[in-house]
Amino acid sequence: MTERAEGSGVPAGRKLNRRDFLKMGGAGLAGAALLGTAGCGGGSGGTGQIIFTMGPDTDGSIAKLIKKFNEQNKGKLEAVHRQMPSSTTQYYDKIRTEFQAGTSDVSVIGTDVIWPKQFAPQNWTMDLSDRFPASEQQKFIAVTTQVAEYEGGIYSVPWCSCPDAGLLYYRKDLLDDSGISAPPETWDELKEMAVQVSEDAGIQNGFVFQGANYEGGVCNALEYIWTHGGDVLDENDNVVIDSPEATAGLATYNSMLTSGAAPEAVANWTETESLANFYNGDSVFIRYWPSAYGGLGDTTQTKLKPDQVGIAPIPVDKPGNPTFSCLGGWEMSIYANTDIEEDAWKFIAFMTSEESIKERVIIGGYDPSRKALYEDKEIAEATPVVKLAKDVLLKNVKSRPVTEYYGDTSLEMAEQFNSALKGDISPEKAVKTLQKSLSQIMEESK
Amino acid sequence: MASASTGKKGRSWFKEEFGNPERRTAYYMVLPSLLIIVVVAFFPILYGVVLSLTDSTISGFGSFIGIENYTEMFQDSDFLEGLSNTVIFTVVSVALEFFIGLGIALAINRAFRGRGLVRAAVLVPWAFPTVIAAVMWRLMFQSQVGIIQYVADSLGIISDPILSSRTLLLIGAILVDVWKTTPFVALLLLAGLQTIPGEVYEAARVDGANVMQRFFRITMPLLKGAILVAVLFRTLDAYRVYDLFWVLGNRELASLSTYVYEGVRISQLQFGPGNAAAVFIFVTAFLIALFFIRVLGMRTSVEEE
Repeated sequence: MTERAEGSGVPAGRKLNRRDFLKMGGAGLAGAALLGTAGCGGGSGGTGQIIFTMGPDTDGSIAKLIKKFNEQNKGKLEAVHRQMPSSTTQYYDKIRTEFQAGTSDVSVIGTDVIWPKQFAPQNWTMDLSDRFPASEQQKFIAVTTQVAEYEGGIYSVPWCSCPDAGLLYYRKDLLDDSGISAPPETWDELKEMAVQVSEDAGIQNGFVFQGANYEGGVCNALEYIWTHGGDVLDENDNVVIDSPEATAGLATYNSMLTSGAAPEAVANWTETESLANFYNGDSVFIRYWPSAYGGLGDTTQTKLKPDQVGIAPIPVDKPGNPTFSCLGGWEMSIYANTDIEEDAWKFIAFMTSEESIKERVIIGGYDPSRKALYEDKEIAEATPVVKLAKDVLLKNVKSRPVTEYYGDTSLEMAEQFNSALKGDISPEKAVKTLQKSLSQIMEESK
Repeated sequence: MASASTGKKGRSWFKEEFGNPERRTAYYMVLPSLLIIVVVAFFPILYGVVLSLTDSTISGFGSFIGIENYTEMFQDSDFLEGLSNTVIFTVVSVALEFFIGLGIALAINRAFRGRGLVRAAVLVPWAFPTVIAAVMWRLMFQSQVGIIQYVADSLGIISDPILSSRTLLLIGAILVDVWKTTPFVALLLLAGLQTIPGEVYEAARVDGANVMQRFFRITMPLLKGAILVAVLFRTLDAYRVYDLFWVLGNRELASLSTYVYEGVRISQLQFGPGNAAAVFIFVTAFLIALFFIRVLGMRTSVEEE
C-alpha cells in the first residue's frame, strides 16, 4: 500500500461508499422509471365508456349514429368513436398490436370481413351466439354472417358497406355509340368490347381493374378463378387451387393484358389509379366496388354523369355460368377482454339495427347487410347502386378463403396472382406453387 | 476506453482496476449510463436473438428450436431475393453517391458568387421525407400519367410499365436514392474539404505539384476520415433500406428489412424467420461497421490521434 492510500484513502473510501450508494440508488430509480412507464402504458379505461374502433368517419354518419345512441342512453352509457387508420392493413396492424399486448381499452371493434376468422382463434373477440342467434342471422345476407363463423360460434355482426362486392361498371354512352346494346356476359365478350369500344371512342383504355401485388389484386384474381369454376379451398378447407378451372381462370386474367383489353400498367394499379382513370373518362370498363357509383355526377371527382354508366355482374367463363363477386365490408365484434360486455352488445345492437343501417346507408351510399333493406324505397332512391347491383349483392358474393392464417395465405396469393397477370410465370406454375404453399399454411392451422 | 486492451490479465487486472479507489470511482460514475444502455439497447437486441432461436409466434413465446429459423430463412426464396436486392442496392447506390457527392463537394468548395445559395439548394432533395420522395417518384414512374415512363417510352428505351418489372424497380430505387442522399454525402465531404488548410496546397504548388498530384497526394489522404464516415453512414443506411422500397415498389420490391416487416407484422407464420432476418441484419451491419473501423482504419474518436 502506498502512502497516499494510507493518508487520504480511508476517508475517501468511506465517502466513496456513500456516493456509490447514491449512484446505485439513482440507477435503480432510472431503471424503475423505465420499467414503470413500460408497465402502465395501458391501464384499462374503466370509465364505462364504450370505445368503438373504426376507420375515419368520412361522411359523418358514424358521429351521427353515436350521438343518437348517447342521447337515448343519457346518463347510463356513452360511446365514443376511436379513429383508426383509413388503410385497412394499418388498422389491422394497430389493433392486432393492442390485442397482443392484452391491454386494450377498446370494447367494440369495427372489423373487416377477413378479420373475424383470424381474431376468433386467438380469443381476441367474443362468441356472440347467445345474443345473435340463427333467427337474427337469417336477416342478413348469408355470406356476411358466414365469414364470422368459427367452430360453431359467431364472432361478428354484419354492418354497413357489407357486402362490398366487385362489379363491372361500363360506359353506357360509349357502348351505344359502338352499337352495342348490352354489357358483356363473358370474359371473351368483355375483351372484344373493350378493344373495339376504346378504339371507336378514341380513348386510352378498354378495361381497367386492380391488379397490383396486394389484397385488392387477390380479390380481382379470385373472381376470375371462381367464374371459371375453380376455387382455393373446398368446404373442408382442403386446398384445391391446382385445378384446370383455376388455371383457366388465371389464363383469362393474364389474357386481359396480352389481348390489349387492359393496359399493362394495371398490374401495378390499386383502387386509386384505376378509379381515377375511369372517372377521368380514360377507360370503357372498370371492375370496382359499389362505392364508385356514388361519385358519379360529383363534378369535383369526375366528369361522368350517372346516366353514362351502367353496372353489370362480373363476367363469366361461358354464358349461363354463375357469376361471383369478391366480398368486402365491415362488421362489428366485441373485444374478448372488455369488462363492459353488456353495454358493448347494446351498442352493436343499436348500430346494426335496421333503422341505423338504413340511416348510414342513405348518408354514405353504402350497401346494407340486411336483406330487407334491399326492398326499401328510400334507399333505392338515395343509393341507386343498391338497386342496380341488388341481384349480385344478394346472391353472388363469395368470401375469400379466410382462415386463421389468412395473412399468410393472402401474401402468397397476391404474389402469385400478380406474377401470373404480368406473364412472369404461367398460370399452371402459379396454381402449382400455391397448391404447395397454401397446403403448408393450412397444415399449420390444423 | 483504453482499459479494454489491458483486459486479459485476469485477477491482477481486476485488482488493479478496482483496488484503486480513484479508478473505482470512475467505474461507479459510468455505471448508471451503462445500466441504461444495457436496459434500452442490449436487452431488446438479446431478446430479438432469443426470439429468433424459438418457435415463438406473434401471440406467444415458444420453445427453443435452435437454428431452425435461420435454416428456414436461408431456404426462403423471398429472403434470398431481399438479400440480393439489398446488396446490389447498397453497393451501387453508395458508389454512385460517393463519386457524384465528391464531385459536388469539390465544385462547391471553391469560392464563387452565390456559393451559399448553391450549397443550400443542393440539400433540397435530402430534406424531403423519404416516404414523400418515394410516392412522388412512384407517380413519375407510373405508366400513362408518369413523366419518366412517358419520356422513356417516347425515346424508345422502355415500353413496358416500369413499376411492373422488379429489375426496373430496383434500378429506379437506386436512382431515387442517389438523387436523395448524394447531397448528404456531398455535405459531409465538403465539411472534410474545409478542414484542409490552404497553405498545404500553396506549398505543393510551390514545389511544382500538378492538379492530379495535388488531388491524389493531398486532398484524398487528408479527406480519408470524412470519406470513411460518409461511406459508412450511407452503407449502413442503404443496407437497412425499408421505406423507399416499400413505398416505391408498393410491396413488389423486396429488401432485407421488408422481409422482416412482412414476417413479423403481416404474416402470422413467418414470425421466426422474420426475427432471424432481423438478427441477421443487425449482425451483418455490425460486421460492416467493424470492417470500416478495423480494416479501413476509420477513427471513432479524436483521442487516438
